[in-house]
Amino acid sequence: MRLVKTSLLGCVIALLWANSINAAATEISLQLPQIETSQYHRPYVAVWVEDAQQQPVKLIALWVQKPDWLKDLRRFWRKIGRSDTALVDAVSSATQKSGSYTLQWDGKDDQGRELTAGTYTLLVEAAREQGGRSLVKHEFKWPATGAFIEIAAEGELGNISARLR
Amino acid sequence: MLKKAVVLLSSLLVTGSLSAHTLWVMPSHYVLSKPNSWIAVDASAGNMTFVADKGIALTALKMYQPDGSAKVITDVYQGKRKSMADVQLGGDGTYRLELANPVRFFTSYELAGEKKRLMANKAERSAQLPKGATNVETVQMRSRNFAYITVNAPTNTVLKLQGEGLELSSKNHPADAVANEEQQFVFNLNGKPQAGVKGILSFDGELYRNEAGRIEFETNSEGRFSFTPEQAGRYLIEASYSADMATDVADKVRESITYSFEVALP
Repeated sequence: MRLVKTSLLGCVIALLWANSINAAATEISLQLPQIETSQYHRPYVAVWVEDAQQQPVKLIALWVQKPDWLKDLRRFWRKIGRSDTALVDAVSSATQKSGSYTLQWDGKDDQGRELTAGTYTLLVEAAREQGGRSLVKHEFKWPATGAFIEIAAEGELGNISARLR
Repeated sequence: MLKKAVVLLSSLLVTGSLSAHTLWVMPSHYVLSKPNSWIAVDASAGNMTFVADKGIALTALKMYQPDGSAKVITDVYQGKRKSMADVQLGGDGTYRLELANPVRFFTSYELAGEKKRLMANKAERSAQLPKGATNVETVQMRSRNFAYITVNAPTNTVLKLQGEGLELSSKNHPADAVANEEQQFVFNLNGKPQAGVKGILSFDGELYRNEAGRIEFETNSEGRFSFTPEQAGRYLIEASYSADMATDVADKVRESITYSFEVALP
């Protein structure tokens, strides 16, 4: 019994610790617009970071369903999806309905290393079955403590903003 | 009627820009994200790029697998306007879809002021030529029509030059052709870059625009042709090379290819 209590306490501490890290992480807020159509399917969405050579360094989020349609996220597919199955499996989660979402990024690359100083680009791509495809991007400098990114809504994507930490 | 059909067929076989019709093979998908997917192949010969006009025989249609081995495609249908094939792909990698005619020899001659032709090479022709034939010339011909399809991660085995006839290599992998980025092709004859290869680049949708937007090109001294596509879509390169090349079997060589490919959105 005492053992159980101790491990519970451990869990609580771990959770608090995780939260304190999140407080220092980059927060990306992303909106999926409400689209009035007779055939609405939730969009496939990818959020990632590329370096100055347009090479992907960090996959932040991937909302997808069936492998058949991953290729419709054209740039994501070319840059990451087609060659890094393990990463896709590790990061992917279910598609989302319209609404506002917050993503967190700890400023590390896919291998868990801190990003080196330089110029990077945040990319967000969305493709909807029987709908359109949108790709938006915004360049940023790293490290960029507190810098703010704003990307206006476009097609399948609503407003996107990020506070870089 | 039968005679007419035979004449038409042989002109299609000769193809290239000799006849007005250009032959192509076009897969329904150039890029796939799931192994063991099925694709449909459309093949036709027409004046407008990708506007089907005449169905063609697909008995020689093959799919080269990512490991380089070839599989004959048997699930084919030859229609009046276009022909179709159903093909199931396997695992990851790049496939080469190819409809190739083997090397053939045509001997042309004149007899009493009339132009005639027979299918024989230079070694065989003397036995078949009628007495009094003049201006005798044998041309060695070959044509290849192809496209690449990539399942998941691209591979390079099927892109390797075989060193025989007219072949195409590109700076980018076919699965990496993207709008607004320069596409660089090198045309090779018998494995070496060849200057003076003539070709035409065209893209889908000619029926729905006034300007066809075709680019006629000739390869430079390094065998190269480059262009930057302004828009994503399906493209076709048709190219041929003719030269005097006296061998035991021919006086001239004529090699032609057509290559259909996809330019993706950035």
